[in-house]
Amino acid sequence: MKKIQSALLTLTVMIALVACEKVSPIGVLVSGTGVEDRVKMSHLYFQDHKGEGYYWDACGKDEYTFLVGADSHLTNDKGRLQEMLQNTLDNNDLLCAHLGDIADTKAEYYIDLEDLINDFKWKYAKKHFKEQYLGDVDDEEELEDPDNYIYTDTVEDKRYGVDDVPMPFYPVVGNHDITHNGWALWSNVFHSSFYEVLVIVNYDPLVWDRFIFLDTASGTLGAEQVKLIEEDGFVLREYLESNIRNTFVFSHTNIFRPSSLQFASTFAREETFFLLNQFKEWDTSIVFCGHVHKWDEQEVNGVRYITLDSMSERNSPAAGDYLLRVHVKANGDISWERVHMNYVAK
Amino acid sequence: MKKAFLSVAFVAVSFLAQAQYSYIGLHKYDGQHKNELSGYVMVGKNVVSGWFGGLELSYKRHLTDRWHIGADIQNQYGKQLYSSDIQGGYRLPVGWSDFYFDGKVMYNRYQRWNINEIVGNLSITWETPYLYLRVGESYIHYQTVDFGYREPLTFTFGTGVSIRPRWYSWNIGLFFRNYDDFYYENWNINWGLNFYATLAKRMQLFGEFNIRPAGSMSQLASKYETSGKLGLKYVW
Repeated sequence: MKKIQSALLTLTVMIALVACEKVSPIGVLVSGTGVEDRVKMSHLYFQDHKGEGYYWDACGKDEYTFLVGADSHLTNDKGRLQEMLQNTLDNNDLLCAHLGDIADTKAEYYIDLEDLINDFKWKYAKKHFKEQYLGDVDDEEELEDPDNYIYTDTVEDKRYGVDDVPMPFYPVVGNHDITHNGWALWSNVFHSSFYEVLVIVNYDPLVWDRFIFLDTASGTLGAEQVKLIEEDGFVLREYLESNIRNTFVFSHTNIFRPSSLQFASTFAREETFFLLNQFKEWDTSIVFCGHVHKWDEQEVNGVRYITLDSMSERNSPAAGDYLLRVHVKANGDISWERVHMNYVAK
Repeated sequence: MKKAFLSVAFVAVSFLAQAQYSYIGLHKYDGQHKNELSGYVMVGKNVVSGWFGGLELSYKRHLTDRWHIGADIQNQYGKQLYSSDIQGGYRLPVGWSDFYFDGKVMYNRYQRWNINEIVGNLSITWETPYLYLRVGESYIHYQTVDFGYREPLTFTFGTGVSIRPRWYSWNIGLFFRNYDDFYYENWNINWGLNFYATLAKRMQLFGEFNIRPAGSMSQLASKYETSGKLGLKYVW
């Protein structure tokens, strides 16, 4: 009996020893934030805000592009995430997707993250919308205050304050985003972890490209998300009646391990097989994944799976190719290229 | 050359010999019987498939007091999973403990998702009266409609403790591992409680309560699967 007590004590001490900032001791066995609750909250938010920033128009363009990045693990250094957002703004990408683990879970990191997102909302609004200044033109302090500006989308005939600008930045939630109850921080900035974005590519007949963002931060979709996926219950019914051309899926957790030495959890076996089947059923063009911090590419039943390296300056300190830009031609053809990041931590 | 021959011989004999690992008390061979027949019913709930149930049947033959071979089959309803394997092992007694060198070849048909999976595993288990530790490597290949994928070699690990020595007539234990009777995961663990109790001289009741979370080695875990097994073993 003493041997068992010693073994259990040793196990407890080992768990306590790994209880550093990034590892939750109870998280080894039990989650602090459940995927079921996250999905229910996200789905409610998505249903209530479907018209707000979830539809984009690419009709009449020779091609549109979108930028994808993964695992920025933002702490005190905003350099890499800043470079990603600037790159997508400069390149006029239709949208920008982030594959999760956007920040490590600390309140101050999320305050910085929210400031950064709001900076780029302002830049995006200045570039794309008609500006109206409400302050004193001679007051320099007021001129630099975003609260003194109103932006009008003349196409949609909508007016926005800077905080409400529908900047097309779409993240999925990652496991680092939700440890230590980080969901409260993440959802405060991004609201929904399970949603869909549609890009209209033809009016008559109506044709869409579909972007599906999954909540896989816990290494499982959870029963609620599986149910919604199987019922296609997260999409507006009327759009299901129209034609879907390309489908792109975004997931933090990866499907395929790039090598034996990748020690991060992936999906359990049944869920892996469920997802392979589901992506095929959706006729998915590309599934984008993060999590393992390593490039990988596979093709399964006509579906391309691309796993991205981490863009974090701590995980990938040297300048290098950490982003992916996808080009979608007017005829639906898809190509992609890796995008170089220059930022190096000082 | 000699080393190469020994390595090949080890792999070969591993596949010809058997040891069942999932239940406490089953490793320690009493040297008395030659045959073991066991079976269990299982019931559980999985995030993807919902409720499921299953039946399993195993046979083990002790060729000598060191060598065993065996085979197992299962049907899981709900998941629509049909499995079979052959396995074998060699027991090396060292003092008060035993080392098991074992191998297994397994076939799984996941009918619901149209997947065929072939798995090969080689493992070493160190077993003491109260504790076991197990490490190994798994080769996993699966095939869908027109796609075959071989996973990078998967590290297998497991450990368990029991409150009584293995030769006792009843026992309760705790286990923690990344495999079960019919799957080998990568960094997804399952853990739980198991027990056995001798009902008669040749018959044993055994069972297991198994919690299989998702994302456990990514710093947090969510409910994925919970299941229970209850079975009988007969030896002669």
